Amino acid sequence: MSDRGIAIIGYYETKIELKSGRSVYDLAGEAMAGAIAHAGIGKSEIDGFAVSSCFSDAGNPFYAPVLASYLGLELDWCQVTDLGGASASGNVARAAAAIRARMCDTVLVLAADAQSSENKGAIGAFRSEFQYPMGIMGPPGCFGLLSRRYDHQYGLDAKALGKLAVTQRNHALMNDKACEKLHRRLTIEDYLASPMISDPIRMLDCVMVCDGASALVVTSTTRAQELGARKRVHPIGYGERINHLETEQCPDITAIGHSVAGARALKAAGLTPTQIQSFHPYDDFLIAIVLQLEQLGFCEIGRGCRFVMEHDLSYRGDLPLNTGGGQISAGQAGLAGGAHNLVEAVRQLFGEAGARQVNRRDNAMVTGIGWIPYGRNWASSTVLILEAAQ
Amino acid sequence: MSTLDPLAGQRPAPVPCNFTKPFWDAARECKLLLQYDPDARKYQFYPRPISIFSGRRNLEWRETSGKGMVYTYTVSYKAPPPFKGVSPFIVVIVELSEGVRVMTNLINCPPDQVKIGMPVRLAWVEAGELNFPVFEPD
Repeated sequence: MSDRGIAIIGYYETKIELKSGRSVYDLAGEAMAGAIAHAGIGKSEIDGFAVSSCFSDAGNPFYAPVLASYLGLELDWCQVTDLGGASASGNVARAAAAIRARMCDTVLVLAADAQSSENKGAIGAFRSEFQYPMGIMGPPGCFGLLSRRYDHQYGLDAKALGKLAVTQRNHALMNDKACEKLHRRLTIEDYLASPMISDPIRMLDCVMVCDGASALVVTSTTRAQELGARKRVHPIGYGERINHLETEQCPDITAIGHSVAGARALKAAGLTPTQIQSFHPYDDFLIAIVLQLEQLGFCEIGRGCRFVMEHDLSYRGDLPLNTGGGQISAGQAGLAGGAHNLVEAVRQLFGEAGARQVNRRDNAMVTGIGWIPYGRNWASSTVLILEAAQ
Repeated sequence: MSTLDPLAGQRPAPVPCNFTKPFWDAARECKLLLQYDPDARKYQFYPRPISIFSGRRNLEWRETSGKGMVYTYTVSYKAPPPFKGVSPFIVVIVELSEGVRVMTNLINCPPDQVKIGMPVRLAWVEAGELNFPVFEPD
């Protein structure tokens, strides 16, 4: 990737809506039409397709080719990726690999879900056996366990989490794609007063599940030039870690896979964290941002809350963070939510973020998180570093 | 002392699979079994179809001491369906002396009394037709 041989040449994001009543296929159609129009290419250029799995059509074992059929795509390469919120960033890397392997030339990377309107997901496995009988409140409960341990080891500053909530909300208020229901101003006091769901997780720590879709057009830089692409963003580093510390039965629950994935991505990109110009971390819960700041190397372990308090994370700040609002303030489009922060990073590097445009837009870091294993933090960690073409 | 278990009477039955049957059969007799890999000399939990240490299918079932300590906890104010109207309850991750962790409830403990590091012992509650392992202060 670091040779800048792969390029993102177009993107699109639908409006994020609560209970839109729309089919996941309809959302995907809007995302595809928008992305190819934005890239300025015809549909026939698309010969590869990488889609994130979704809750809305989760019972369908043939989801990717069925969706491709709805979209009228004839393909030479097609896959579904089921890394949850890590699928979208993971699919940029998979698209790059498929193009490198000459399996196809131009890939539509797409993520769509209408989880708040239709949810056919049934995760089963150990959950039916060892989790559901003890009533844990799903992801907020699991992040409650994680946050409590973090607090025990390092101290958790609720005001820092509140500052993250407010920073992201201010960004969402500038994003017309963000969910209307979340379109109201927040203060740190609002955060602190929001009700406990699974102590110390408050309601305003959590994402709200919505509907939405995003798409990106990924091709070789050579093909991008032949197509006369007006702008390009290059993926220049990627790292992925699945089931970090799986064979340790008593690991530090606060140790996340991004430590490994981040080191790999940064090494490939030839960058250090201090050189990252904007940061778009996966945010299902605010504590996840703190852990990523630490374990990607933006600050020392245990200093994440202090880092948040000491830095301006707004779009005008020294490390702009989730400038689209993040999922917590823009809404989580089900399993497609992982594409929200990715598209925002690309939008910023294209210089198309409007009123919330960051000043420094040479590069950006995007991360993904997917699925919660038994008694741990999360199973899938991805880190993608993007660079604007000069 | 009456049992303090805000989820009592509402727990859905666990759904066992073929290789976890010994675990649930033992649970009927209030015995907590763990899988043990005699080559790695390590326990593992939750039950797997294979040793996560060696990739071999050399696993034995062994009964635990039932003694452990709270690694972390959360006090939950809501529970997903089928639970209805529960008062605050405690979810813990217990670290057993055998070197594995079990995620379950802490019962017989007021929510403001739980602490990381507190010693706990095995207890059992009903979940549908089966017994489900939980812990209580030791």
